[in-house]
Formats: sequence, C-alpha cells, structure tokens
Amino acid sequence: MAEARKSMVKIKPKKYKVGDIVKVDFIVIHPMDTGTGKDKKTGKMKPAHYIDNITFSFDGKPFTTMKVWESVSTNPYFSVNYKITGKGKITVDYSDNQGEKNSKSKKIKPKG
Amino acid sequence: MERRKFIQSMFVASTVAVVTLPTGAFAEEAKKASKKGPNDMSFDEAVKVITGGKEVKESDKIKLTVPEIAENGAVVPVKVEVDNPMEEANHVKAIHVLNKGNGNSRCADIMLTPANAKGYFATRVKLSKTQEVVALVELSDGSFIQTAKSVKVTIGGCG
Repeated sequence: MAEARKSMVKIKPKKYKVGDIVKVDFIVIHPMDTGTGKDKKTGKMKPAHYIDNITFSFDGKPFTTMKVWESVSTNPYFSVNYKITGKGKITVDYSDNQGEKNSKSKKIKPKG
Repeated sequence: MERRKFIQSMFVASTVAVVTLPTGAFAEEAKKASKKGPNDMSFDEAVKVITGGKEVKESDKIKLTVPEIAENGAVVPVKVEVDNPMEEANHVKAIHVLNKGNGNSRCADIMLTPANAKGYFATRVKLSKTQEVVALVELSDGSFIQTAKSVKVTIGGCG
C-alpha cells in the first residue's frame, strides 16, 4: 500500500481570530480492519490494519498525541480543540500498525 | 427397481443435508465466539493498565455524548467534554475512550496539553453489541474520573 492516503485537516469555524478556540478536525480514509473480519471477495481473514498513532502539532510543537486501536470506525475522524495563538501551520502526523506513515498540514491564518 | 433406488438415495441425501446443516451453523457460531482480534483486552485489564491500580471516581464533570440507540454499530459517534480548566497547573491530561463489550476494550487515548484550551474530543467508534461506552479522564494532579453511558446497538459493527 504505497499510495498516499486521502486525509483532511479542517478548522471550524472557517473564520477565526487570535485567541479564538477552534475545532481541529482530522479525517482520513483508512480501512481500520480489526483482524476479525473476512474479505468478501476472497473469503480469507483480513489482517488487522488500523491507525495507531496520531500527533497534532503547531509549527513543529506537538499539542495533542493520540493512541488509537481498531475499535475506531472505518475512515476515522478525530476532533480536538485548539486555541489560536498566531500564524503558523497545524500538522497532523499519523502512522498505522503496518508501518505506513503520512502527514497532512493546514495553514493557520487568523484574521483581525 | 432403478427408480426406487434413486428415490431412496435422494431421501438419504436430503436427510443427511438436513442433519449436517445445523451442525455447520453451530460450528460457525463456535468459531465466531473463539474469534479474537490481535490485541484483545478486557475492560478491567484496560482500566488497570491506564490507571495503574489507582482509584477511579464517578464524576458528572465529564459530559459524554453518545446516541441512545445506534442502528449501525460500525459508526457510533462519541463526544467527550470535560468541564475542567486547561491551565498549566490544572488541566485535563488525557481522555481515554473505552468500551465494555468489544474484544479490545480500548478505543483511543488522547493526551491533551493546555494548548488545547478545552477538554474536548470527538470521534466515531465501532461497537460489536449493546454495551457501555466509558470515558476515563486523567487530570494533571494524577486523579482519575469516569462516566459511562450505555448504547443500544441494533447491528453489530465488528468484523
């Protein structure tokens, strides 16, 4: 699985100022297989494949880290709060139990 | 003679089929029961690993939002809000989302810092059957508080 995963970082609400508390939503397209399900096409057991580590950081400084297990839904979504302190970039790094590593970032441009 | 034999053999075959079918189903069920994920952990074990044997208090500081009835167990939205200040001295250190009925009781651990400004976390989880979802929160002074809510699941969402 070499192809890059589709992922998204969303800031809600879209317009924000310095000092505002916003929601940082992270969505990724991922199967999150539990290791207990069968592949419908081949009938074989699917090996467990899930995201296990996520790090949210702002300008390289991590502010939230997560450990995730297979009980989280397919195409997971994670949402945390963050207080805007100024211009910068929110980066979300994530890795799964099969060694895939990816990251996605979003620029922070506070208005006013 | 030929026809009689044929009919007899048909009869035998059908009875055999009737007898074997249910046993096959039983076997399937037994297989399901023994089916285990790679990192199964019971709820009590998970709590022990997280808290290290410390006391966990029930608290109404945590607002856990889950649907009362989830039609599809594969996608159950979970929202945890902790009514606690997020200052350097007193903040929410971690939110653990747990379940009581899945093979692996741990869903997600979220380590927060004061930069988050609010003890808030939302995600979607899979639930295999009707069970309780638990939010276990660790505060910066090392104490643990928790809240549980039951979710009725119509169709299980695991496997």
